[in-house]
Amino acid sequence: MSTPSRVRLRLRDLSAGAAFGAMAVSGQLPPWTLALFGLAWVCALLGWRPFAKRTSTALLLLGAAVMLGFSVARGVVDPVVASCSFAGLLTAHRLLSAPDARTDGQVLLTGLLMVAGGAALSGEMLFAVFLVAFCVFASLAMALAVVEATVPEGEPLPVRAVVRPLSVGLGFAVVAAAAFFLLFPRLSWNMAARRTSRVLGATTGLSDTVRLGGAGTLKSNPRVVLRAHLTPDPGLEQLGAYWLARSYDTFDGQEWTSIGTARRRRSQVTLRPGGERSIHQRIELLPAYGAQTLVALETPTRLGNAVKHTESGSQRTSLVQLGGGEVRIADNAPAYSYEATSLPPDEAASTQLTEAEQGQLLALPDRLDPRVAELASRVLAGEKDPLAAAQKLSSWLQREYAYTLELGGEVEDPLADFLFVRKEGHCEHFATALTIMLRTQGISARLASGFFGGERSNEDYILRAGDAHAWTHVLVPGRGFVTLDATPPANRSSQSMAALQFLTGLYEALESRWRSSVIEFSLQDQLEVAERLVRPPRDSGRSSARLPPARIWGVALLAGLLTYALWRVLSRRLSEPRPHSATRLVDTIEHLLREAGVRLREGEALEELTARLVREHHSLAEPLAPLTRRYLEARFGQRPLEPGEADRLLTPLRRYLEARRATASATGPRRMSS
Amino acid sequence: MRARLQAFWARLRVLLRPPRTLKVTRTGRTYLVVTFGVGLGALNTGNNLLYLVLGMLLSMVVVSGVLSERCLRHLRIRRLGTESAFAGEPFAFRWALTRGQGHAFALTVAEANAPLTGEGRAGFLREGVEHVVRADLTAPHRGPMRLSGVRVTTTWPLGLFAKTRVFELEGTLLVYPRRGYACQLPGDSRQGLFGDTSTPRRNDGTGDVAGLRELGPTEDARRVHWRKSAAVGKLLKVEREREERRTYVLTVDGGLSGDALERRCEEVAAISHELLEAGNEVGLETPGEQLRPAGGPPQERRILRALAWVGFEELREEQKEQEAAA
Repeated sequence: MSTPSRVRLRLRDLSAGAAFGAMAVSGQLPPWTLALFGLAWVCALLGWRPFAKRTSTALLLLGAAVMLGFSVARGVVDPVVASCSFAGLLTAHRLLSAPDARTDGQVLLTGLLMVAGGAALSGEMLFAVFLVAFCVFASLAMALAVVEATVPEGEPLPVRAVVRPLSVGLGFAVVAAAAFFLLFPRLSWNMAARRTSRVLGATTGLSDTVRLGGAGTLKSNPRVVLRAHLTPDPGLEQLGAYWLARSYDTFDGQEWTSIGTARRRRSQVTLRPGGERSIHQRIELLPAYGAQTLVALETPTRLGNAVKHTESGSQRTSLVQLGGGEVRIADNAPAYSYEATSLPPDEAASTQLTEAEQGQLLALPDRLDPRVAELASRVLAGEKDPLAAAQKLSSWLQREYAYTLELGGEVEDPLADFLFVRKEGHCEHFATALTIMLRTQGISARLASGFFGGERSNEDYILRAGDAHAWTHVLVPGRGFVTLDATPPANRSSQSMAALQFLTGLYEALESRWRSSVIEFSLQDQLEVAERLVRPPRDSGRSSARLPPARIWGVALLAGLLTYALWRVLSRRLSEPRPHSATRLVDTIEHLLREAGVRLREGEALEELTARLVREHHSLAEPLAPLTRRYLEARFGQRPLEPGEADRLLTPLRRYLEARRATASATGPRRMSS
Repeated sequence: MRARLQAFWARLRVLLRPPRTLKVTRTGRTYLVVTFGVGLGALNTGNNLLYLVLGMLLSMVVVSGVLSERCLRHLRIRRLGTESAFAGEPFAFRWALTRGQGHAFALTVAEANAPLTGEGRAGFLREGVEHVVRADLTAPHRGPMRLSGVRVTTTWPLGLFAKTRVFELEGTLLVYPRRGYACQLPGDSRQGLFGDTSTPRRNDGTGDVAGLRELGPTEDARRVHWRKSAAVGKLLKVEREREERRTYVLTVDGGLSGDALERRCEEVAAISHELLEAGNEVGLETPGEQLRPAGGPPQERRILRALAWVGFEELREEQKEQEAAA
């Protein structure tokens, strides 16, 4: 096989891979389908096609079809997923078969079907990447096949020459596809809509318990889990605030839980009275969050107006209050939004607690190491004020203990292990140590979990999965619960790499734009685009800092197209071959001769005419002869005409013709009168 | 001014109604069916990604049309023709293609509106370079064939559509009679040796020495060159050029028509070929033309041309007039 044919085959195989990738990003294909296709694809790319000489391999496909059909009948696999899986297996079979024109066509056709299947299965931004990749690879493979079919045997295939015009065409195709997408009315019959899935899934996973031990892998996860719009806007780049999810009051030596029972569903939950200086928050819990627990700035007073966002649309939902001050959304959905208000950090917060809950704030594990209480007593040195004692212990822990995310396996007493053996741990260890040490001294405290931080993103603040944090609430008489954090300040927020954080942020932003501009693009959006084009919004103050309005883009596009058309016309006109100056001279001579009634015979050149006139002793021969000689010199003798020389040369001929015309006009009337 | 307006109007008409024909290929039909299916799916489900795929598929159709149109523009064609075309058998035919602006790909070239089968292919046409496209064409019958134009087709870029443009290019292809075996003897020669003479196909004439060759088992020992044979040590035979040249005049009778005329032309072509090959001189008498006897390949070409025109004398007169006028 020639090198260009190999290139074409590689492109064909890559297009098949991209098409399968468009389906695979949905995460809905059975793993064995992924494995089989991946194996076949790698074999094909390596040029190993074991089905090329075997004819009975189609039976394998038949078996796969029967298996998928059986799965669909049992309700294990969705029919669309089964169809997509079968398309993938069919492509894999064709990839491993003998490469000929028919097989190539089949691979590209099944690739197209896989892309369509991917569109039905997936809502991911990566789908667009795979779609464009498929278009590029498949177009190149098809173009090379077309050219290869017409190139005579033995002649080279112009691979590079093919790529350039085709890539320009593909660029136009992408733009045209975007224009079609934007302008084609969304007239959906909506008879069989499918749900979409999310490829990266959730990360945070707030649970009912906090178990000490294990590595803190979450701290290095840069995915954005929460987006909040604060009113009034603090205007800070890094907010550095505590975002409370829930608190825990019971520690059994291994893990934290909380007492309390679920209350009835409500649309709004009031945790404590608010104040005039309350901070209003409009919060979106993104799909990466993966839990139903509401999060709000410390100290939350009211939560409500929750909306769940699913693929079929947005819908209002209710809230359930649980123990530990936790408020959950009643229904499961990929994403939520809600409103919350919180007290400012310096304002006292009263919390209503039952007697049992109050008792739990001093509860200690049954088998608590006695050295913990001794250590707390030694550090506090008789300090009895709850807040001062907590601050003293917190400072001591930050000073004496190191922060680490790399911890070993399970230990019997993680608190003692942290305080007396390893002397290093992560936020849960620090918070647990502070809480329990305070309790040993008779000071009420509980563990709080949520997020720490807040990174500015446009007009909102975002929280990453790595911002997950644990800290301590100390009950101070007259002030309520006061937040105290024993974790060293440098280790409170996300521990992920800056570059990774940037890339994840970029991806999240693009994905957000993708969802709003592509996946959720509707007829309403089309109407709004059209309205913005026809009637631009008047409140230009808000949009002045952003991109120009759509009509400006439209005008710019129109101006660009007009400029391009003008450039094309001018360039075509300028690139037209200009007539030789000698040719212009001979044209003028012929024109003058025609006016004088002298016509060249068919195929007669100027020099032949002059020779004829000389032979006939014509009076025109005298002014014409020097002109003819000079014309021949200029045209063929490499002696070009100088500027103005043509006019000078033509003057005798013009004079002669004028004189002849004057004579004719003078004799004409006489003849008429006679 | 009026002439300019007319020229502008003519250009506009050409632009709006270019002389193109479009045919959907088999791959294109499948592609359109899938596009239709995706469109139905998009309308049915309202899935925006399906709309995106549909937009991509439709825009690829548009891009395919634009690129193929660009491929057929700025193209100049010159007919180089053929050395000799015999009816019923493939002959090499050539066109010279030049692309004035940009490259062209996947071109198929054929004669338009002519009963010639076969086509030439050019995979890649570089800008500004004359590319000679060769095709093996077959003409069904003898005679002059009027060529009105050259059909250029491209399936570039994706092979979904075959776009065709016909370039007007007048010309005439003269198809010689079908080559076959001569079933009849040429008849008596008008001049030359008669009777039991040695066959003229052998180099055993009485002319100049043509060379020496080892004597074969059954060959005449009288032609052995004894002195050279003695020097070399084996029997060498003298070969001499023939001089037993004869002259024949073949005829195509005027009363023949249809199949009979075709058969006679083919027969005369075959006989003349054999006779000329054998070194004889051959002349021809047809209803419209007389060729004096002569020998060699040029004479065979003249005979074939004359035979090709038999039955088409009126056309020949027309062509002669046109050539004279030109």
